[in-house]
Amino acid sequence: MDKKIALRDSSLLIALVLIAIYFYTRDPRFLSSRNLTQLGIELSATAVLSLGMLLIILPGHIDLSVGSGVGLIGAVACVLIVNSDWSALPALLVTTLLSIAIYTVMGWIIMKERVPAFIITLGGLLVFKGIHWLVIASETVPVAPGNQQNLYSLLTTFYLPKFLGVALGVGCIAALGLAMLRGYKKRVARGFSSDGELAFLRWFIASQVIGLFVLVMNQYKGLPLAALLLGAVALAVHILLEQTRLGRYLYAVGGNEQAALVAGVPVNYVVICAFALMGMIVALAGFLQTAFAGATTTTTGQLMELDAIAACVIGGTSLKGGQGTVVGVLFGALIMAMLLNGMTLLAVSPEQKFIARGLVLALAVWMDVRLSQTRTT
Amino acid sequence: MPGPILEAKAITKLYPGVTALRDVSIALEPGQVHALCGENGAGKSTLIKVLGGVLPHTTYTGQLLLDGRPVQFESIRDAEAGGIAVIHQELALVDEMTVAENVFLGNEPVRFGFVQHERMYTEAQKVLERFKLEIDPTLRVRQLGMGQKQLVEIARALAKKARVLILDEPTSALSDKEIQSLLAIILDLRSHGVSSIYISHKLDEVFHLADRITVIRDGESVHSTLTRDTDTSSIVQHMVGRRVDELFPERRGTPGEVLLSVQGLSVAPRRGEPARLKDISFEVRGGQVLGIGGLMGAGRSELLMHLFGCYGERISGQVRFLGQPLPESDPAKLVRAGLVLVTEDRKRYGLCLEAMVGFNLSLSALRDLSANGFIDSERELKENRQLVESLSIKTASLEVAVGTLSGGNQQKVVLGRALMTGPKVVLLDEPTRGIDIGAKAEIYALVRELTERGLAVVLVSSELPELIGLADRILMLCEGQLGGAFDAGKVTQAELLSAAMNKTRAAVVAGENG
Repeated sequence: MDKKIALRDSSLLIALVLIAIYFYTRDPRFLSSRNLTQLGIELSATAVLSLGMLLIILPGHIDLSVGSGVGLIGAVACVLIVNSDWSALPALLVTTLLSIAIYTVMGWIIMKERVPAFIITLGGLLVFKGIHWLVIASETVPVAPGNQQNLYSLLTTFYLPKFLGVALGVGCIAALGLAMLRGYKKRVARGFSSDGELAFLRWFIASQVIGLFVLVMNQYKGLPLAALLLGAVALAVHILLEQTRLGRYLYAVGGNEQAALVAGVPVNYVVICAFALMGMIVALAGFLQTAFAGATTTTTGQLMELDAIAACVIGGTSLKGGQGTVVGVLFGALIMAMLLNGMTLLAVSPEQKFIARGLVLALAVWMDVRLSQTRTT
Repeated sequence: MPGPILEAKAITKLYPGVTALRDVSIALEPGQVHALCGENGAGKSTLIKVLGGVLPHTTYTGQLLLDGRPVQFESIRDAEAGGIAVIHQELALVDEMTVAENVFLGNEPVRFGFVQHERMYTEAQKVLERFKLEIDPTLRVRQLGMGQKQLVEIARALAKKARVLILDEPTSALSDKEIQSLLAIILDLRSHGVSSIYISHKLDEVFHLADRITVIRDGESVHSTLTRDTDTSSIVQHMVGRRVDELFPERRGTPGEVLLSVQGLSVAPRRGEPARLKDISFEVRGGQVLGIGGLMGAGRSELLMHLFGCYGERISGQVRFLGQPLPESDPAKLVRAGLVLVTEDRKRYGLCLEAMVGFNLSLSALRDLSANGFIDSERELKENRQLVESLSIKTASLEVAVGTLSGGNQQKVVLGRALMTGPKVVLLDEPTRGIDIGAKAEIYALVRELTERGLAVVLVSSELPELIGLADRILMLCEGQLGGAFDAGKVTQAELLSAAMNKTRAAVVAGENG
């Protein structure tokens, strides 16, 4: 079983490398620092949203509304700033609270009224889209009035000064090393089997990736703020899932909801919390996605829910719930973002982009089914 | 006189670690109704599986004779081809299809690959009329009551030209009126030459129907007699005739405060439906075990699930826990207050099977093991290890999937999870079902230990020796009502069983004891 999972993890890595090599051979600009920076910013919105989706899928639910939610929340902030002359910070804060409220209510309906999440969030998809178009009167609204800068536009245009980027990179590598060493020592002290060499190898690869990332980003403009936000969200979700009671409960509800209920897990509360967190994440993804485009239009956020679900599934999250990790989802999101970025670079037609992404998703789910079959037998 | 239509000779069936049937023989004469009696787990179901071809002939030893000729059933299909049809407790009907479609399911009259609907309906009508089953073949099964569904199953068997019907507890979900008409139909079928093997806990039905009664106990056929040569009490004696094993540790606890009390509790499955549990009252003190018995479907599990807030709508009555009224439905709050439930169905309500042993063990107690929402993994590990040791859970480590453990060890994990919360009252639903004798003894010892620590235990069990051996007081439920209440020291298995089976007599017994 361990071997299967290991194979699965590395198969993601292999797929990632193959895709990168393919795009690089077709157009060397794919691995240029400029394009990789671009990719990093594109990735941030999708990946943040995918991490939210993980919180929903783990307890065995689904959220189809997040694409429209991203569009709506990003648009409301735009309209508050441009049409109502709010400054950026309060606009972002208020819309975040609005988003949390909306998703908490959806979670409440799903759990207390027992309407399946699929239906409620499908309704949300349509309703949010409609409200989004109403709010912007089906026109394009920029994130900042005129061509000025504000906090909103800086989300995807701010880069960390290069020395800070290096310092942060070194700090990250050191912190990761310390954390892994501590974890390893703890496991040994507690008498669990653990593979020190494997742990070191993982740290080594991770530090290479971080170091390379900082260097490549610094060749262009520096570390993008959006990528840092993604890192922060990923770390937060990881800690939530691994070290908190709520995280444990999310896995338990997805593993066996009835058993969790009898064991005294407050099932309704747990799922509603997941939706509330999703609200916060939808807001952040909405700001990132809208800021990246510079303005909200009727298509902002469109189909992002499917990218998020795809990223989860490709990353090994079980749609039945109870299984999934942050690292897997990050890989999944990276694969989806890379495909889109590479195809855009190669000027692939939108028609073919859709087809390619669909095929990748289907392929990934098929692989998931095959692998989980061999895992259980 | 012709020989038996179906005969089983010296059937022995071993499951890993358990002998389900030992050298059992049974002979069904043509035009006879033959009743099988025995306690839950006595081996009746296994015998039916042998006769109905559910168990292929290679998995047991012994011989089956059909019309005096040896036969070997590979599958249910073979048994059906021989004219044997089993009507199971859980009905195998498709709710959204019509009666006729169900009767001919998998057996549709076909021409050129197209189902001949006209012919199907007329033939279904013919079968139904011939056996006086008054059901419209064009109705959807969903629209029928339980009794009528049972008849559709029988009609399906008859459409396949069955000569032997095996009915497994067919009346457990039927109303009195439906039972009467089902019994009449079985007798009518007998006059048409269709023999039946009839399994029921309800001895009045058995005596009404059967020509011959065979009693199975602990996998052996202990008694077989013509109905006219015996009576109820003799059959009950044979059913329970085993000695109480010496598995049970002595009682030592002294009763303390009343921890849980139930007054006049009536519960319906859903709002507006008729009551499933009617007017139930009892109390449990610290240091005591309250045993709850009853036949399958008597409402034992429903009672525990309701107390724990997982089942039904309370119509009336009051439940007090530690002197306070119990909130109606919030298991999370109940666990925190000190009430825990260990359910009967480990796979469905017990464990996250794919998750690790440690994950499952500490799940209920996470609130105590965490500060500000963060889990103290050091303490969690310590507590987990302590439980694995004190319950002697056999597992390679805390990090293997709990689904890979044996049944007994899985059960200990569920128990351990409940105990880690430091409960005051423990509700145990069939804690020893499907686990081997060694693990049973360990669980009995554990129950004793809990009462010695001053906890109250409510133990639901279908094994009477378990109730008598462990409990201080025993309630028998009968069709959702209190059938009788007994002091464990003075009661016999026969008394318990008759309280569980006979409503009217039990009411008298309850009056005397309670």
